Amino acid sequence: MTHVLRRLVLMLLVLWAIASILFLMFRLMPGDPTTAYIDPTFTAEQRQVVLHQFGLDLPLWRQYAIYIGNLLHGELGLSFRYRAPVAGLILNVLPNTLLLTLTALVIAYIFGALGGALLAMKRGTWVEAVTIPLVLATRAAPEFWLGMLLLAVFAFAFGWFPSGGAVTAGAAFPSALARVTSADFAHHLVLPAATLAIYLQGLPLLLMRANMLEVMQEEFITMARMKGFGEWSIMLRHAARNALLPLVTAFALGFGASVGGNVVVETVFSWPGIGRMLVDAVASSDYPLAQGAFLLIAAVLVVMNAVADMLYGVLDPRVAHAAG
Amino acid sequence: MPPAETVALAAPRGLAWRRLPSLAIVKPYATVGIAIYLVFALIALFAGRIAPYDPLEILFAPDGQLAASLPPSAQHLLGTTNLGRDIFSQLVLGARPSLAVGITAAIGVASIGTIVGLLSGYFGGLIDTILMRLADVVVGIPFLPFVIVLAVLLHPSLTNIVLSVALLLWPNAARVIRSQVLTLRQRQFVEAARMSAASELRILLIHVAPNVLPLSFLYASIAVGWAILTEASVSFLGFGSADTISWGYMLQDAYASQALSRGQYIWFVPPGICIVLVVLAGFLVSRGYEELLFPKLKD
Amino acid sequence: MLLSVDDLAVAYRTSRGDARAVDGARLDLPQGALLGLVGESGCGKTTLARAIMGVLPRNGSVRRGRIVFDGIDLLSLPPERRRALLWRDIAFIPQSAMNSLDPVYTLRAQLREVLCGRGGLSRGAADDRAEELFAAVGLDAARLAHYPHQFSGGMRQRAAIALALALKPRLIIADEPVTALDVIVQRQVLNTFQDLSRDLQLSAIVVTHDVSVVAFLCDLTAVMYAGKVVEYGATRDVLRAPAHPYTMGLMQAFPDLDRDAETLVSIEGAPPSLLDPPPGCRFAPRCSLAEAACRTADPPPLGDAHWAACIRA
Repeated sequence: MTHVLRRLVLMLLVLWAIASILFLMFRLMPGDPTTAYIDPTFTAEQRQVVLHQFGLDLPLWRQYAIYIGNLLHGELGLSFRYRAPVAGLILNVLPNTLLLTLTALVIAYIFGALGGALLAMKRGTWVEAVTIPLVLATRAAPEFWLGMLLLAVFAFAFGWFPSGGAVTAGAAFPSALARVTSADFAHHLVLPAATLAIYLQGLPLLLMRANMLEVMQEEFITMARMKGFGEWSIMLRHAARNALLPLVTAFALGFGASVGGNVVVETVFSWPGIGRMLVDAVASSDYPLAQGAFLLIAAVLVVMNAVADMLYGVLDPRVAHAAG
Repeated sequence: MPPAETVALAAPRGLAWRRLPSLAIVKPYATVGIAIYLVFALIALFAGRIAPYDPLEILFAPDGQLAASLPPSAQHLLGTTNLGRDIFSQLVLGARPSLAVGITAAIGVASIGTIVGLLSGYFGGLIDTILMRLADVVVGIPFLPFVIVLAVLLHPSLTNIVLSVALLLWPNAARVIRSQVLTLRQRQFVEAARMSAASELRILLIHVAPNVLPLSFLYASIAVGWAILTEASVSFLGFGSADTISWGYMLQDAYASQALSRGQYIWFVPPGICIVLVVLAGFLVSRGYEELLFPKLKD
Repeated sequence: MLLSVDDLAVAYRTSRGDARAVDGARLDLPQGALLGLVGESGCGKTTLARAIMGVLPRNGSVRRGRIVFDGIDLLSLPPERRRALLWRDIAFIPQSAMNSLDPVYTLRAQLREVLCGRGGLSRGAADDRAEELFAAVGLDAARLAHYPHQFSGGMRQRAAIALALALKPRLIIADEPVTALDVIVQRQVLNTFQDLSRDLQLSAIVVTHDVSVVAFLCDLTAVMYAGKVVEYGATRDVLRAPAHPYTMGLMQAFPDLDRDAETLVSIEGAPPSLLDPPPGCRFAPRCSLAEAACRTADPPPLGDAHWAACIRA
């Protein structure tokens, strides 16, 4: 239990450190963060009003105190560009990102686990010699380039899938839930999810294969053969079951990382997610929005890192009992 | 893009790096990787002589028309872009920034990781705690978003991309090297050096550091690919250096010129393949090298 | 005879050629007897045990010979038929129960797997039987809910015995069942095993490098050297009146139960390479009694109650 507590405390410290780094990064940069959004024809007074509105006329340490205080209340400030609360803007697009990420990860990990297990059983054959460089190549390909290939072929050449967005422009839905469960949404989801899944499957596949090869050397696998069990049942119940443990951790880590890593895929497919919102905000100097999006992405990453650590303890009886 | 290459924590065989030259011979995958590296290194080195045109020059046909969107021909091996630039020349010169970013970032990652790992593992105590907590924080920073924000705040350039890659990717290397140092500290030759009252710095540099270099090299070889992919992604998102022709820039240019809807595969397939080849070469080399360092992982 | 092994040869493919780990081994096990298979490490006793189970490492294979179990030649059985015999008729107790129990399942789950999956019991019946088995090997039934790593070494070995007994096999092969344990725990586990073998009238082959284990536990003894069984007979006869010079040496090399371990005298020299064994008797190079004939002639294992593969016998 103390292990879990310590991990949680560390998680909060890391979050606080990242929030502070981010604050410094945005405030200590040369130039006034508002220049992009204040009309040059403004008078000095008008400018002062706008600066005051965003709290930018206060000394740095006061700004920091307010910033941290606001964060604790889940308050992320006002977007320069939309003149709307950042938190609301982000929460609006967050489900799109989470759905895209989860869909892709689930496909990637199911495929990766099965593929890795099969590949382990095929070790030393030509199947392995061909497959491994191919899998490595999918990891070596930039995600956005994979996305461009899929778009060029399946959206433009064949016209099977829409070329961007999460729903058809102008489509109306009775509720947010109806929107994300609609066939239209799913149709739009196929290409970006496929792109991400192709990129993501390599890690679980190679991990699963390596784990399987290691587990297959274990004495308890030999024992299972001596017990007269069939090869497939041994591979499933013993080899795969043991090899899967690190994959669960990798899934949690992968989830944390790909919410932020989605940036390029969301941009290629004009997917209205948090990554694309971050890119747009950075490009248009909307610092509060960029900061908020960044923080949320970081929070998901940090929380998932902690979850991965703790999951490992829960799933592996050896670790679970050693820890308490 | 998580730097999630998993590396076993087993101690590498002593002085495995002496066997480095045998890497190419023993591991066929690594041989292919090294061959790809060599080819691209030669291309980058002689890019000026290989490329028939200036990659940024806007070309015109003899009749004065803009030589835009030409299909591949003897004159333009891979055709021209929307703005009438020679794609083959861009591709050849694009090898330079990609390799430069990859190699410098790799050196950066390996240097920071090695120094932090050495200090943390050897001195322990408060230094260790501070450095390892710092590593925890860095691991919590989303990689690509950070690179983008830093690129914009510091102004887009290759140097800043290298800087942000180096700043974010060192913790994995540092953690593994640290635990290696911890086991080395227990070894007899380090103990013996202590007894003979050698200075701490001398022990660290002469007795400990050489033994973690193989790991430094492993993490450097992993970082090459990440850095190249990062440069491409950042360029694609439009936060790249504006005056450098890189493969990422070419992809961004193609995307912005509607290559996808116009079916101009020649605009974006070749640079993508180049990125895949170079990054793949890095993976192949590091895999082969890892197997050499940790023979247990060998199947 | 419950089990007869005759002229068995098992080899491993290695990069330097075939290693003939077992090369013409013979032994017989009557119903209800405990046979100790004793020899130095690397003599092929574990390979022989695994060959009887039919589970060899990938690079190992049986090259010739016969393994007859209850009148059936195991080596000529189709793989499916042979697998069907495993655990129901022939079970195995491994050397290190730590590595041979699956770390992610409780002992109840591992017993259930065997009892339901191979024994055809219902879940409820399996759980009852699991408690019965744990009681028989001297473990608390509450322990069934535990994972292998929560057991001590001795308890794990008891659990491994329980697993082996699960389907009431007619033959048990135990590969160094107590080697990994310290002396006191060894004794306790051996006592349990001895009681069980009497109560259940087990037939078993106990592979060990420790003559004292054989002396304590076994009715019959087979001494193995360099891939061959060199002497076989009632434990009493083999230990008191060894007929093979290697057995004589072995008796000196290992302390018996009453003697102190410090009086250990080892046989000079090392066993021959299994990649390229010398002609003639394989023990001849180390044998103080060897004659010229020993270097050319390889004496066959002939005889009934007590025999030795030595021209002097």
